Amino acid sequence: MRRILYLVRETIANIWANRMSVAIGVVTTAFTIACFGVFFLLYWNLKNLAGSLQDEIQVMVYLEPDTSKVMVSGVRRHLEGEHAVASVAFISEQEAVKDFHQQFPEESSLLDGMGDTPLPASFVVTLAPGFQSSELVEGLAERVRGVPGVEFVRYSRDWIDTLGLFVSYLEIGALVIGLILAVATVTIIANTIRLSFYARKKEIEILRLIGATGSFIAVPYVVEGAFLGVVGGGLSLALLKGGFEVFRFELDASGWFQGLDSVIAFFPLQISILLVVTGFLLGSASSLLSVYSLLRSRA
Amino acid sequence: MIQFFQVTKYFDRYAALRDVTLRVDKGECVLLTGPSGAGKTTLLKLIFGAEVPDEGQILVQNRNIARLRASDVPYLRRTMGFVLQDFKLLPQKTVFENVALPLIIQGTAGLEVRRKVSEALKAVGLDHKRGSQAAGVSAGEQQRVCIARAIVNSPIILLADEPTGNLDTNLTMEIIELFKAIHARGTTVMLATHNRQVVEEMKGRIIRLHSGRVLSDQGVYSETNSLSCP
Repeated sequence: MRRILYLVRETIANIWANRMSVAIGVVTTAFTIACFGVFFLLYWNLKNLAGSLQDEIQVMVYLEPDTSKVMVSGVRRHLEGEHAVASVAFISEQEAVKDFHQQFPEESSLLDGMGDTPLPASFVVTLAPGFQSSELVEGLAERVRGVPGVEFVRYSRDWIDTLGLFVSYLEIGALVIGLILAVATVTIIANTIRLSFYARKKEIEILRLIGATGSFIAVPYVVEGAFLGVVGGGLSLALLKGGFEVFRFELDASGWFQGLDSVIAFFPLQISILLVVTGFLLGSASSLLSVYSLLRSRA
Repeated sequence: MIQFFQVTKYFDRYAALRDVTLRVDKGECVLLTGPSGAGKTTLLKLIFGAEVPDEGQILVQNRNIARLRASDVPYLRRTMGFVLQDFKLLPQKTVFENVALPLIIQGTAGLEVRRKVSEALKAVGLDHKRGSQAAGVSAGEQQRVCIARAIVNSPIILLADEPTGNLDTNLTMEIIELFKAIHARGTTVMLATHNRQVVEEMKGRIIRLHSGRVLSDQGVYSETNSLSCP
């Protein structure tokens, strides 16, 4: 108990004695983790956006003109028999014209003189969860194209693929930048701990002389590093949250990207905790790195 | 207790100790004498495992120093007490905290720590200064705090390197009396000094070193062999 008390006191004394370098270490760690956090937040939101857009992928199955009711039923049966299909909605030629007028009232004149049914009838196919990948959608489209009565199949594949590719590049980018910033964080914290370590070199020499083990001496420094990491991580989280709220406010005020409000979100609690835990782990690892030689030396 | 077999220790290419063979038995009082650079401190450092011999073997309490793992060195040191010329106290801590440190390191229970520290402080006559900051007491008192810290965990061996180096004659006498009392309790004492007063008063076995070699190992000091003393 007395030993734990001593170690706690020593840690607090270490932090207090080196409060300036600890403060600098905390701020730099916070900014470094926040840099990674910004990137991660961007990645997180784009991934969510891509996910929600993928959820909304619809396949349009256009029918040949004047397809008989029997054929329409046949196409419906085929579609409903596909595992990848969650629901099917039929839009008749008349409904298609009505929808066009509703959606594009200013361009209504475009259909003038093209007869009563200028637009084809179609099925709007909503995909079942887990079947939204471009390969599976492509497979479904291929099969549907061969069904009698189907003229052509269309789905918004290209830009979804592009978004998916962008997200995967972002993923790699986040990983690389994350690694670089992790090394930077480790270096910053390790140097802060090393400063604290050198400031108390004489004391460490005395502790060694009277039989303190390397781990006994190292504990306050490792705890100091962990503290630095946790506070840095927490501060970075606060910076990120503040920055995120300002960004969202500006976005709302500008009126751009309306409708994206529901998609753009800050990290959930688990990821926020993970960010602080990352700080803790980086801090502990950095200080262990600084005092490693101490644990191995015998002098 | 302590055995050196043809021990040589180099620092860079300079031999700090050359071919030293000696044996110290339990309860002995050994005075290492010789001029600066004779190898006294190196010899003590080898005993407490701060250095390893380049040649030869050292056995301390049947443990081979050369083969001792770095992680085992602290446990060897816990069986020893150290008194150094520059005191090596933690100046910002109190006298009590300084003396308690070896016990805290070993995980001794709180009540036991208080009891043993009080005993050690009484033994050196400093119980009344337990709450004072180590930096705030006089040099003689600091050395007595250092001795209290060295004896607080009842060491088997007490090593001292020039313990009176910074003290005047009166204070030196006080410290000698303390060492005599510690030795009288059965503790093996090894004391490196080139203070004639210490050698005369301690009346221990005198090992004289010069340029890293044992020049003489002649038993207790007396008027007849005083010429061998520094």
